[in-house]
Amino acid sequence: MMAVFEKGERLRHIGHLDIQRAMQRALRRSGMPVKYSQGFNPHILVTFASALSTGAWGKKELMDVTLREDVAPETFLQAMNAALPPDMQLSFCRTLEDQHPALMAQVAAADYTMTLTDDDAARKCAESVEGFLAQETIMEMRKTKSGLKECDIRPLIHHLAVEGNQIHAVLTLRETTSCKPDMLVRALCRFAGCEVPRFLTVRNGLLGENAQGELTALETL
Amino acid sequence: MYSQKIEALLEKVQKAPRYTGGEMNTIIKPWEEADLHFAFCFPDTYEVAMSHLGMKILYGAINLQPRQLCERVCMPWVDMMPLMKEENIPLFSLESRRPLKDFDVVGFTLQYEMSYTNILAMLDMGGIPLTRAERSDKDPIVVAGGPCAFNPEPLADFIDAFMVGDGEEQIIELNQVISDWKKSGESRDALYRELTRVQGVYVPALYDVTYNEDGTLASMKPNCPEAPEKVLKAIIKDLDEAYYPTEIPVPYTEIIHDRIMLEIMRGCTRGCRFCQAGMLYRPVRERSLEHLVELAQKLESATGYEEISLSSLSSGDYTCLAELIRELLKRLNEKHVSISLPSLRLDSVLKESLEATQKERKTSLTFAPEAGTQRLRDVINKGVTEEDLIEKVSDAFQGGWSSVKLYFMMGLPTETTEDLDGIADLARKVVDAYFAVPKGQRAKGLRVTCSASVFVPKPFTPFQWEPQDTRDMVREKQQHLREVLKIKGVNFNYHESDLSLMEACFARGDRRLGQVLRKAYEKGCMLDGWTEHFKYDKWLEAFEESGLDPAFYAYRRREKDELLPWDVIDCGVTKAFLWREKEKADRAEVTKDCRKGCNGCGLQRYKGVCKLCE
Repeated sequence: MMAVFEKGERLRHIGHLDIQRAMQRALRRSGMPVKYSQGFNPHILVTFASALSTGAWGKKELMDVTLREDVAPETFLQAMNAALPPDMQLSFCRTLEDQHPALMAQVAAADYTMTLTDDDAARKCAESVEGFLAQETIMEMRKTKSGLKECDIRPLIHHLAVEGNQIHAVLTLRETTSCKPDMLVRALCRFAGCEVPRFLTVRNGLLGENAQGELTALETL
Repeated sequence: MYSQKIEALLEKVQKAPRYTGGEMNTIIKPWEEADLHFAFCFPDTYEVAMSHLGMKILYGAINLQPRQLCERVCMPWVDMMPLMKEENIPLFSLESRRPLKDFDVVGFTLQYEMSYTNILAMLDMGGIPLTRAERSDKDPIVVAGGPCAFNPEPLADFIDAFMVGDGEEQIIELNQVISDWKKSGESRDALYRELTRVQGVYVPALYDVTYNEDGTLASMKPNCPEAPEKVLKAIIKDLDEAYYPTEIPVPYTEIIHDRIMLEIMRGCTRGCRFCQAGMLYRPVRERSLEHLVELAQKLESATGYEEISLSSLSSGDYTCLAELIRELLKRLNEKHVSISLPSLRLDSVLKESLEATQKERKTSLTFAPEAGTQRLRDVINKGVTEEDLIEKVSDAFQGGWSSVKLYFMMGLPTETTEDLDGIADLARKVVDAYFAVPKGQRAKGLRVTCSASVFVPKPFTPFQWEPQDTRDMVREKQQHLREVLKIKGVNFNYHESDLSLMEACFARGDRRLGQVLRKAYEKGCMLDGWTEHFKYDKWLEAFEESGLDPAFYAYRRREKDELLPWDVIDCGVTKAFLWREKEKADRAEVTKDCRKGCNGCGLQRYKGVCKLCE
């Protein structure tokens, strides 16, 4: 069963592992026929499409739950929402066929909104978007397991617009390569010539590629 | 109104989930719909607070009342406190994030003497004047309960009313009295007198204290007709009738006891002479098996926890323990719930139930022989023999455990070097018991951990008159133990003696310690229970500037007829019984478990309270 859930604003500081554990416990509370792994410490079979960073609010996060028997998506949704706190509710569920690819492998990009707390910086960013995108390469530091590494994020930006104090962006998010929202904000502010202000990140949804190779909401694929 | 500012701070602290709230099963009631707003304050961090069963019980019980509301407040960690100060954010509740001073009642739970400075810190951060004298009618009523409330005097300057005994019903009644008083518009003094009507409530303002020249108490007398000479603790007679929460908050972040705690009984019949809880929580009351099975199932489905711990002072003594465990395993097996017994008594562990709990993961087993020789175990009335211990440990090793913790105390009354050497002998015998199990049949990786804490004499125990070992004596003994416990497979842990000294002062302290506490807080003492934050020198300065001596409180032997600061409380057990027990201790004479016959501890004075002595 694929389910779309929210990691609410109040929970943005909860780390991914804690969210996973909270979801496992909600699955236990829901009374749904979940499947457990074999072994000494059995755990519920559930995988998450993508880990959301601590500090970010996620509006449409995806998970895949293995069930022992068929359950109607509406039934699953209702049972889970009764078992979840208000800040973690499900908005959509769908039964996945057995041969459906792993969600994790399907994720190609994510849709973000970053709200800047400094109006002046936001204005400068808005004025600079066009020029920023016109660059051939945009070099930015990214954190990897082996330390900081410089990489070109220009090809990873699929969409970028600034409205008021909000930056809207669609950025590549793959297991192999991705552009994190903070990398984009840093690069844009540097280009605009302003300090990076405090900002709140919202991940609006996860995207995959449809048959035509177009980015589409992952839950519809 | 502070919520956005708080959000901004959370980006800068180490463990933000301590402050976020919004956990499953937390209750956010509309503020305006309640007549009485209660802030349940735990004077330690979120991880400690959320591991505490009492808070979950009282949180649920208050919120069950239609016109009462309860929210949780914890002590912020050292990284959060300066940020809050900088941004002028007062200490806030986890639910509605309101400042502490917005609540009608601010209630602290007193689990440990060394959390007292945190109480002052929390009041201060919450915008509430520290002492009763400084507070006005606009400020919240500050109350406190829990085991340390049995000697309320060191906190008498700061707390309006203490709740002594079982809190489930008492706290609702207390809230009702405060709620009615709020409507009446009368003075705080009128409330104080009203509060005496609630069972187990001690109001320090209603008592005058005088001292002798040598510093001991001369008198402690009520100064109004409403206040009783002695305050008898509140007692829940039947636990099956009492409220027990099933929809308990489930934290996101890992806490210390991250599991369901099922209180199978309250009280203990063993009569260990060092154990304060064993005296305070008398009489023993069991929940029925049917009720427990029902509660366990409800708790499991409301929380999704993977583990249940059967909690009480002496779970091995629960009458139908084996049956209970079998029943729980039957009902919860398919949900992969494991069952743990935290306070296993070594002379009552049934092999059968041990094996039954093992279906899930194996962790270490804890035993508490407390003393190294039979003589000293007789002195403290710990009715456990070496044979018992070795038998149970052997059973455990055969059953697949390889990790054993042994708890001891040092500085017990009458202790000699021989008793310390006995600890090493015992540890060695445990190691031998492991190797006696054939190699193929035992789990790998033997680990025997011996912990020795410093004995702190507590009020309402037969050792309440005894001196604590001095720091020098403790150091010497620790050094000795370190030497004799150099055994392969055995680890030795010991505790900070300075901390135990302060604990001893406050455990048996009087009202004058209020000024020491305040001075220590003003000097920066806080989170004293966390060794890295304990500032011994500041505490000594605070004592000195107050003209008081820690030795008077910790190292002094009390006379039989000395008036003790906690004599104003009746915990059910009489002073005469405690003295009889003290004399038996001096003769290394044991007292039988009161399940085997009444020992006349004093509870027999109250009808229908103790089923064992009727």
